[in-house]
Amino acid sequence: MNLLSPDVIAILLLDGILFLFALIALAISVQIVRKWDRNATTPLQYALEKRAYLVATIIEYIFYLKLPLFLYFIYTLDNLSNILPGAMCAAGVTNATVYGLPLFVVKILDLYLFGFWIVLHRIDMKKPDYPFTKMKFWFFILIFPFFTLEVVLEALHMGGINPHVIVSCCGTLFSAAKSSAVSAFITLPTPLILGLFYGNFVLIAVAWLFKRAFWTALFNLLFIPVAIVSLIAFFSTYVYEMPHHHCPFCLLQSDYHYVGYFLYTFLFGGTFYGIAAWIAEKLGYGTVRGWLNRSIVLDTLYLFVVSYYPISFYLKNGVWL
Amino acid sequence: MKNLFAFALSSLMRRGSKNLFIFVIFALMIFILASIFMITHSLKVEMFTTLEALPDITVQRVVAGKQTDIEADRSETIARIFGVSDAIPRVWGYYYFPKAGVNFSIVGVEAFGKQYKKELDMVADTYAEGLVEEDTMIVGQGVYETLKRNFFNDYFYFVKPDGELTKVTVGGVFKPATTLESNDIIVMESSLVRDIFGMEEGAATDIVVHVANPEEVATIAKKIGEHYPDTRVITKEDLRISYQNVFDYKSGIFLALFIIAIFTFFIIIYDKASGLSSEEKREIGILKALGWKIGDILNVKFFEAAVISVGAYFLAVTLALGYVFGLGAPLMRDLFMGYSVLKPPFDLPFALDGGTLALIFFTTVPVYIAATLIPSWKAATLEADEVIR
Repeated sequence: MNLLSPDVIAILLLDGILFLFALIALAISVQIVRKWDRNATTPLQYALEKRAYLVATIIEYIFYLKLPLFLYFIYTLDNLSNILPGAMCAAGVTNATVYGLPLFVVKILDLYLFGFWIVLHRIDMKKPDYPFTKMKFWFFILIFPFFTLEVVLEALHMGGINPHVIVSCCGTLFSAAKSSAVSAFITLPTPLILGLFYGNFVLIAVAWLFKRAFWTALFNLLFIPVAIVSLIAFFSTYVYEMPHHHCPFCLLQSDYHYVGYFLYTFLFGGTFYGIAAWIAEKLGYGTVRGWLNRSIVLDTLYLFVVSYYPISFYLKNGVWL
Repeated sequence: MKNLFAFALSSLMRRGSKNLFIFVIFALMIFILASIFMITHSLKVEMFTTLEALPDITVQRVVAGKQTDIEADRSETIARIFGVSDAIPRVWGYYYFPKAGVNFSIVGVEAFGKQYKKELDMVADTYAEGLVEEDTMIVGQGVYETLKRNFFNDYFYFVKPDGELTKVTVGGVFKPATTLESNDIIVMESSLVRDIFGMEEGAATDIVVHVANPEEVATIAKKIGEHYPDTRVITKEDLRISYQNVFDYKSGIFLALFIIAIFTFFIIIYDKASGLSSEEKREIGILKALGWKIGDILNVKFFEAAVISVGAYFLAVTLALGYVFGLGAPLMRDLFMGYSVLKPPFDLPFALDGGTLALIFFTTVPVYIAATLIPSWKAATLEADEVIR
């Protein structure tokens, strides 16, 4: 029934098109992985070199469309919460079926994977003899099942939402009273959470100062869960100015000036560049400095924005929540 | 990059007529889609504003699946539920006037009493003396004009269910309609309304309940339902969801049809873009001979597609804005609203949000660019020596 919501139709339509293109790319990737020989001068090798361009074009198209589409997906979930009884933000819609949460995780993972593919591709194209061609097509063959999983989960989730069944609001999903994985984070002592969060950031900064791409990548990878947990457990309550409101989705609503869209862009962008820089270094690509800088700038922006809320709250009210 | 973009623009200009055709058709498709979404969004916003004025809970009595009269004194029991600020029985209904082919909405009020709606309070207060007199009604402007056209100047004969006639005089006319609904309304004493509709003494059409704290509406609705199992309890929230569903349904069906159209278009674009003329082929060959790489030509092709699709998007959305909110969407609005003789024409309120614009964008522009992907690649991988010859 919900399938007739125009937003849902639009998203499924686009992901359907993307999936068809990904299938073409997969077929060519398999060919290339099997038959690619850099030194051959056969017509086959010649045709494969041409097809490699098609795959690259398709994957870039998918990635650059998936970025805005992901934001639109979140927006749509937020919108659907108007229809679903009990849901007040995207959290409730995500939990309307068992596929919702895995879908979210896979969607984010896919964005990183496609992004890394493009990094690999860019580096490959810079070298005269395309040394990583085989590797990048192997990589795409590895990504493809994840993308398939995403499309399947999305269809199952959107199709499975029943507008007559009451779902849980974020107030119950992220409450400390219930014994769930999330509530375990929330009951962690605040000093520990803050120590982890700021400590992790200091490690990233130090790694950046000493230009150690590997350590930057590692700490950035750690930073994703640490930042999200600390956001749920600590920072979000200051954005909402309510001690028991822990939702990571309500941040995306107009009531909080859509701050969530900025936060997640900073966080995912910063960690992405941090990890990509290491991949680039591993592949012997010279100018990773710029990516490390972008990473630290975005991470710092994230840190500033989340820290702003508790500090300004304390300055205004003189107490901590 | 900038030079490639300039080249793409000039290349579009050189093949003006072919590209113009695609541009116009594509813009037209986006225009239709954008208009539909703008109209539904605007109506939705309008409906939700009207919805705010509705009572929190409406209680109807249902017998054998059909709505029937409810005992008015149930309102006293409901009013005693903790959290209810007031519960008022309503007596109202539609009266069909065959000669003009229209429905009047007859609304009963208790003169000197509290009404369930602010506008009615005003009417009842202004004409209180007139209403308590025998058989008097206050009518909306639209009703008054309809009556006059049928030679009922200051009175009207209502036909009761048993065939008897009741003469009711017009005691006053509303000021020109302020809200959408007030034009077809007749207001009279509740007892008179019961008489005209043949309802029993002490019966009401439904009971409206106001709740002080909106958070408690669901709980109170549940209590009422449990206390009177023969009732259907409708909350404002239920109405909001069903409105949303109706509009989503209508625009969803349209979008489903649109997708078929856009796939046809997809094929046409694919075909058009694949069939390079010998002149274009030679041009690409020369460019490659000059040292252009495959990536450069792909970029040019991408820019061409982007200019056409994004340009068509902006043009179409601007035109749709003018058509829907400037002209009031003639023809198309009837698809969504239907029509009624007495309903006054009303303007579509200006309502536009980023979500609607994004929806229009995502259903059109990426599809167009996708259709040009493979043809562009084919063009870009042409070999210089093969085509120049």
